[in-house]
Amino acid sequence: MFDDDAQLVALIDNELDNSSKTALLARLAADEDLRRRYEELRLTGAPLATSFDLLLGDAPLARLRAALPPEDAAARVQPRRFAFRNLAAAFVIGALAAGAAIWAASTFGLFDGRDDWRTAIAEYTHLYTDETFAPFKPDAAMQATELSAVGAKVGANLTPENLTLPGLRFTTAFMLSYEGAPLGVIAYVDPSGEPVLLCILVDQAPDAPTRSERRGDLSLAWWARGGRSRLVIGRIPEERAVALAQTLEKRI
Amino acid sequence: MNSSEAMSEASRREVRAELEPSLARLWRYALVLSKARDVADDLVQATCLRAIERADQFVPGTRVDRWLFAILRSIWLNEIRSRRIREGGGFVDAEETLTTDGAHEIEMNITASAVLRAIDRLPEAQRETVLLVYGEGYSYAEAAAALGVPIGTIMSRLASGRAALAKLK
Repeated sequence: MFDDDAQLVALIDNELDNSSKTALLARLAADEDLRRRYEELRLTGAPLATSFDLLLGDAPLARLRAALPPEDAAARVQPRRFAFRNLAAAFVIGALAAGAAIWAASTFGLFDGRDDWRTAIAEYTHLYTDETFAPFKPDAAMQATELSAVGAKVGANLTPENLTLPGLRFTTAFMLSYEGAPLGVIAYVDPSGEPVLLCILVDQAPDAPTRSERRGDLSLAWWARGGRSRLVIGRIPEERAVALAQTLEKRI
Repeated sequence: MNSSEAMSEASRREVRAELEPSLARLWRYALVLSKARDVADDLVQATCLRAIERADQFVPGTRVDRWLFAILRSIWLNEIRSRRIREGGGFVDAEETLTTDGAHEIEMNITASAVLRAIDRLPEAQRETVLLVYGEGYSYAEAAAALGVPIGTIMSRLASGRAALAKLK
């Protein structure tokens, strides 16, 4: 893999923003090696799609159809018929399905003001487990790069120094959106891998002091300053969420 | 029937109607994640059961297939994969787990089998991302949200996947 591969693939997939696209096209026009690499990567697209299509044909449909629960299963389903029942913690079952539904709703814009952004975040946070972010172990340079990129999108000065939190390890930072407004997410994990998120929403909210609440097994602490709402959320005690929020409030 | 019950009934109908048409794609996702056909079969069954049990929590009008994929992925991460790791074995990478019948020579003068072998050798996170974007049509942003990673990570995973395939020529 070469340095420019990610940009070239994003160009092929039509996923670059206009300015990046223009800059890369200019480089391609002037650089024969880069054009050759672009072509090498472009040619992999059709084989990938075709191979995945062919894999569909290998699915054991008859067996899978036969294993589908009957039409009225919702009313009388007996989970012991399936091999995974004993593996499922009850809270995971509930949180998973509820979270997935609301995640889908928030992702596809169905909240439409009927619910607030904290609800949207709380519901998809249910989907995150102690394995979601724990594998991410960015070095200092990567951490600074990710924070800088998210900071630029949400208009905040985000650095490894001002986002260091006691007992938590930074894993990754990424962008989402809520009803079209930029939503930056900084994900930490505690020593057990449990996620704690700092979310920053550019919503022009008036300044507001830290408040907190419990939603199921999640604690939320939020405040607003400079036209941005901030939220700390995780499966942690409410007072810890508040303490983290107050620490961050002084820094960002 | 009140409005809440009517919505639950609509959710159940919608989920139920989409289960069977989604089976092959769910199985493909399960196979790409687990690299084991027996695990893929069980994972799809568990996903269908979970979806039916919780169908009243599906929001009508949103995409059932994406909801099913999220359920499948969570069962994989929270229950099956983590259990195997706890048991100390992890997953043994069987040879040519991702295969398909026939040669199917395709563009680049390589076969689908060669492409699938190359995908097979990718780390799980790359395999999953490549499938969601190139097999399932997720946008980068959708893949990032579904997997809980930055778009830059999606870009890096896709580039790694394509770079591996580019070496096949």
